[in-house]
Amino acid sequence: MATYKIKKPARTFGDQAYLPAIAKGLAQTFGRLYTNLLGPEDQKKTATVRYPDETREYPERFRGVHRLTHRADGSPRCVACLCCSTACPAQCIYIEPAEYEEGDAQHGYERYPKVFVIDELRCIFCGYCVEACPCDAIRMDTGVHVPASHQREHFIFDKETLLSIPGRDGTYVTANPRHEPGDASHPGIDRAKGH
Amino acid sequence: MPVFKLDGVEIPFEPGETIIRAAWKKGTEIPHYCWHPGLSIAANCRMCLVEIKSARPMALPILAWDEKKKDYVETTKNKLQPACQIEAAEGMEVVSKGAAVEKAQGAVQEFLLLNHPVDCPICDQAGECKLQDYWLAHQKKLKRKDTEPVHKPKAVRFGPTIVYDAERCIMCTRCIRFCDEVVGDHVLDMRERGNRNEITVSPGRELDHDYTLMTEHVCPVGALTSKDFRFKARVWFLRSTPSVCTGCATGCNTWVDYDPRYQRVYRLRPRDNEAVNKFWMCDDGMMSYKRFHEDRILTGRARQDGRVVEVPRQAAIEGAVKLLKTASKLAIVLSAQASNEDNFVAARLGSALQEKGALGAKKLYLAALGGWKADKILRNADNNPNRVGAVMVAGGAGLASLEDLVKAVDRREVDAILSLGWAASEGVEQLASLANVPHVNLSSNIGPLTQVATLVVPVASVAESSGAFTNAQGVVQTFKKAVSAPMGITSAWETLLSIASASGVDLSMKQLSDVRGALATHSAPTSVGDTAAPAE
Repeated sequence: MATYKIKKPARTFGDQAYLPAIAKGLAQTFGRLYTNLLGPEDQKKTATVRYPDETREYPERFRGVHRLTHRADGSPRCVACLCCSTACPAQCIYIEPAEYEEGDAQHGYERYPKVFVIDELRCIFCGYCVEACPCDAIRMDTGVHVPASHQREHFIFDKETLLSIPGRDGTYVTANPRHEPGDASHPGIDRAKGH
Repeated sequence: MPVFKLDGVEIPFEPGETIIRAAWKKGTEIPHYCWHPGLSIAANCRMCLVEIKSARPMALPILAWDEKKKDYVETTKNKLQPACQIEAAEGMEVVSKGAAVEKAQGAVQEFLLLNHPVDCPICDQAGECKLQDYWLAHQKKLKRKDTEPVHKPKAVRFGPTIVYDAERCIMCTRCIRFCDEVVGDHVLDMRERGNRNEITVSPGRELDHDYTLMTEHVCPVGALTSKDFRFKARVWFLRSTPSVCTGCATGCNTWVDYDPRYQRVYRLRPRDNEAVNKFWMCDDGMMSYKRFHEDRILTGRARQDGRVVEVPRQAAIEGAVKLLKTASKLAIVLSAQASNEDNFVAARLGSALQEKGALGAKKLYLAALGGWKADKILRNADNNPNRVGAVMVAGGAGLASLEDLVKAVDRREVDAILSLGWAASEGVEQLASLANVPHVNLSSNIGPLTQVATLVVPVASVAESSGAFTNAQGVVQTFKKAVSAPMGITSAWETLLSIASASGVDLSMKQLSDVRGALATHSAPTSVGDTAAPAE
């Protein structure tokens, strides 16, 4: 069995005396204190931020409060398929689907959420709803928390609230294009237009 | 019984039966869209193609790529045949698995999905769609077609109950065949050809016969949707409980589909029973679930100084005990809408109270709905599910009608009434006399009888309780509790038992099994057999 001898570091008289080392350490501490408090801005190395006046930028994939994305005409992209509420492990999403009125270009093609409620207190911010959504209608890319409140009702976000929250880029749409029935870009043709 | 072999498993069949039907009877499913056990054979979906081994198989000359020769070579392959059309024969060897069949099934799947919109998230069939099931089972590949699918009419109104989506339709013609063969009304047909194919309603007509919701039920995909169920729920949230339709005396077997989270029933589906309803149900029967949630009585109701006030259920039960205790000439009204158990306990309680009272005469009456349009398919002229059962409970003798009861009350032969259920063919005006004597009514819904009662005790509906109905043929059919009744409400027989124990009457019954045991000894069963299916 091989053995190694570890050599202890030799101590100088200065180390042995302690006081010079303490002085050295305190000089470092107070030097940093002086720089951070009164020194030039670019040399400051504080690890804290002045919350809540200042907030830290969250990473790009941070899952913040939900939002419902819009279509070009401002209506929700959500088609009330209930995939998100099916996937939700906390069961915090409640949706009531409804059909577009007769005469609407979307009538027959799609449905929309008459009621869309997320209980943000129940939500565990896992992001499964965003994964499940086939329409890119629900997103958590807002970059903000749910605002704090003393009242439970303030955490029940209804459809209008969810539609009013913008994404991190300040817009209400998503980068994924969508061709709605009735739009010129929609490739569908019906019997009236011929094949 | 002769047998044939399906994938090495012996399957018995009756002469003349097709392969798919014999396999279905045994519980083995051969993938299919257009075949339905209750309809004729169309053999148009080609999903049930199987290989039939024989000494001289039907061979097709084909060109196959030979890897060694780096060229196509002439060879043969066994022609596949539709299992829904080929009659089984003794000693036949059928292969429904294996490379050749799976390739054909995958190809059929791909073909059916060529122009399909794949809008599963907004399709009500999603979760119980054969296209989804078979895609997972037999295809599991992406579509190779990269051009825009053919677009066809969507959300076409077929009638007051059904909406049609031609893009989702696979043209299996089940709905057409159902209307033709079962209803005998050729109201649906097919127009155009190939990928422009679509189902249409006959000119000048609407899909408006009495069995329109069954066309939605037989549709294997999401092409036909029921206006009532459309967008209401996702099927994967629903649970099913075996039950019996309350619509009429036929007693069609049903599945009650309910959402356990909200304890709410969303639809009724027919449950296969060859002896009673085969595979079908009528529209009115399928819509009878509405009664489970509409016009419900959820608290006790007491008439005080000509006004009806709501009282707690427990207070209503105590009030009922008081009213019934003082009665000396009590009349019991059984209900043709109530289960055998409810009627039995009501009759027993009545006779027990009579024995204690001064008068021993048994006064049993029957409340029932007045009947509806009958047909030769399923609908019975008597729209009460349990008239036979109520009569059987009363000892087989005919029961007096409510009209007789009104007369008896007017002649002061009755000084108190205990009635079951809400249903009566008579209107409130005709029954007005019943309000002149203390009248305890046990009901789940608002109806003529509840309007003329002094005291109404809320009880559970059919979906909220277990029991049995005896249909017009005399078949006793049990139904099971699907959802919980709100606010501690119990079924009528349980409520009656608590009234009995509070009145100091011992009926020596505590549980459903006790009631059923007593019921069985009380009357010789007229049943042909209990046809309740086991839970799914």
